[in-house]
Amino acid sequence: MRIRAAAAAALASASVLSVGWLVGAPAVESLRSTLTTTLSSSASAEATTTTASGLGTSSGSGTSSAATTTPETTAPAAEAPAATEVTGTFDGSAVQTRFGPMQVSVTIDNGTITEVTPLQLTNDDQKSVMISNRAAPILRDEVLSAQSASVANVSGATYTTQGYLQSLQAALDAAQF
Amino acid sequence: MSIDTSTTQRHHRSAPAPLVRPDYRQRMQLADTLQVLCIVSVALVVALFLADGGAARFATPADALTSIGVLAGLVGTDLLLIMMLLAARLPAIDRAFGHDSAMALHQSLGKPALYLILAHAVLLIVGYSLAGKISVFAEVWRMLTVLPDMVLAFVGLGLLVLVVVSSIVIVRHRLPYEVWHIVHLLSYVAVLASLPHQLTVGALLAAGSPQWFYWLALYVGVAGSILVFRFILPVVRSLRARLRVEGVDRVADGVVSIRLSGHNLRRLQAHSGQFFIWRFWTPGLWWQAHPFSLSAAPTGTSLRITVRSLGDASAALGGLRRGTRVSVEGPYGLFTDRARTSPRLVLVAAGIGVAPIRSLLETATFLPGQATVILRSHTVGDSYLAYELAELCRARGAEFRIIAGTRPPGVNSWLPADALAARVSLKTLVPHLRDADVYVCGPRRWTDEVVRDARAAGLPTRQIHCERFDW
Repeated sequence: MRIRAAAAAALASASVLSVGWLVGAPAVESLRSTLTTTLSSSASAEATTTTASGLGTSSGSGTSSAATTTPETTAPAAEAPAATEVTGTFDGSAVQTRFGPMQVSVTIDNGTITEVTPLQLTNDDQKSVMISNRAAPILRDEVLSAQSASVANVSGATYTTQGYLQSLQAALDAAQF
Repeated sequence: MSIDTSTTQRHHRSAPAPLVRPDYRQRMQLADTLQVLCIVSVALVVALFLADGGAARFATPADALTSIGVLAGLVGTDLLLIMMLLAARLPAIDRAFGHDSAMALHQSLGKPALYLILAHAVLLIVGYSLAGKISVFAEVWRMLTVLPDMVLAFVGLGLLVLVVVSSIVIVRHRLPYEVWHIVHLLSYVAVLASLPHQLTVGALLAAGSPQWFYWLALYVGVAGSILVFRFILPVVRSLRARLRVEGVDRVADGVVSIRLSGHNLRRLQAHSGQFFIWRFWTPGLWWQAHPFSLSAAPTGTSLRITVRSLGDASAALGGLRRGTRVSVEGPYGLFTDRARTSPRLVLVAAGIGVAPIRSLLETATFLPGQATVILRSHTVGDSYLAYELAELCRARGAEFRIIAGTRPPGVNSWLPADALAARVSLKTLVPHLRDADVYVCGPRRWTDEVVRDARAAGLPTRQIHCERFDW
């Protein structure tokens, strides 16, 4: 390779990389700030925007606006180990993320999380849909094995993860899980 | 004659002034451009990652491993696509570097590309398993069962390992050519199988994003080049040329010259010294294709190749009948007069490497007394086409030398033992070597030795041209 070509390649590569860096900078910045606000607001979330609203599926309401918590309690079986264990399906609150609202519902059977169903996933554009579709099954698996909303972030799907887990936590709180 | 005067003056210059032709300058510019594009394409995939905010995803060990893994996958795939382009017989690449240099680069990229793709798989498995706090085996299982298109991706990875390993083995000559060739075709399947997971699992190349458009354009471009230049163009050219075997002449034991006739062969734009990949449509041979160099200058109606039977397949070539249909891919190679940079010419050949040398000698530009042809053989009588070369040398005023003898034991040299002992070299054999382009064709090791000798004599790269015919 001639020196001229090497120099041109180095120069062109450097400029391509810096353009990439510059384009990526706002995304990096907003990611950082979103994470910070998400984390700082989560403490007061329950009281304000993300008020939990556990809705029994039997109530027929699919919205998250209902303020009361009415967990559906199954007919207590005689051999149920503990009558106080929660059973039912609870909707989490809709959480606004940068890419659209996120909402999940959780099914609890005798105190065990048996299913997490996404009601709304970030879907502002095709890319968000793609990310959601990738992250949701991973998060579901993790939640089922951890039996809580304290699971790790899915790489490359940070917003989805945050929204998903926040909505889930709201649902779990509603279920008094 | 005025021409004579000018050349005499050239001889008397104290410092040799290489004749840099516009052809050469254009070729170098094209080569520079292609090399820059190649390197920038690697920078570009890294830039795509950065543009997606990738710089922020190094905070935790899991994120860092995942991000490095994504980068390895992007760069590795970019290299794979470059490799495919190098093997796609793009006219620009052949014109700039020549087919054998392009294939040498293709070969040298194989291992780095494979290592990057393997690193991609390992890093992502570890990164995801750290993030999910599960074992790597559970993570692999989850990838295969939960994530979309991952089964295909793992199949692609397996095929890629198979292709590279078979290529490394074949370089050491432990596999027959045809097996290697079929395995090599699997690399297309490997690259295609890995595409879906890149688009569905990776958030970076999500549908609709600029990255997605670029990536797909890259794949479509490479696939299109392969389709057009490896398949469609050769078929169209072969159909137009209507090549048939005109006759087969025995040159020596196991060596034949095959004469072919066709229509409007000027349209192929073939030059002396180039090669085609030939397919002879007989019941036993139609399924394989082999590269053979032109051993006579191409005309509008005829081509000629000289072939030595190396394998079982090329042995059957001696029995070709007149009228057999022939299809070709090509012409390829920079082993032509167009690559010249100097007024004088030195042609060096060993074995069947004499074929392109013979056609070059026929049409190369040089004045009487300014060309030297050197044939290297074991004994004086066993050079192929020696008689034809002697005739051509006489007609065109070139010096003709046959250097015969056995190799010195334990020493790497292109010369026989006695010549080496007498301190013979390219420099002592050829007067005004610094004013000459040296063309070398022969077995790889031997060719390397001639090239080393030429470099030792102070010849710059642009004056050394070689064709290695290992395939």
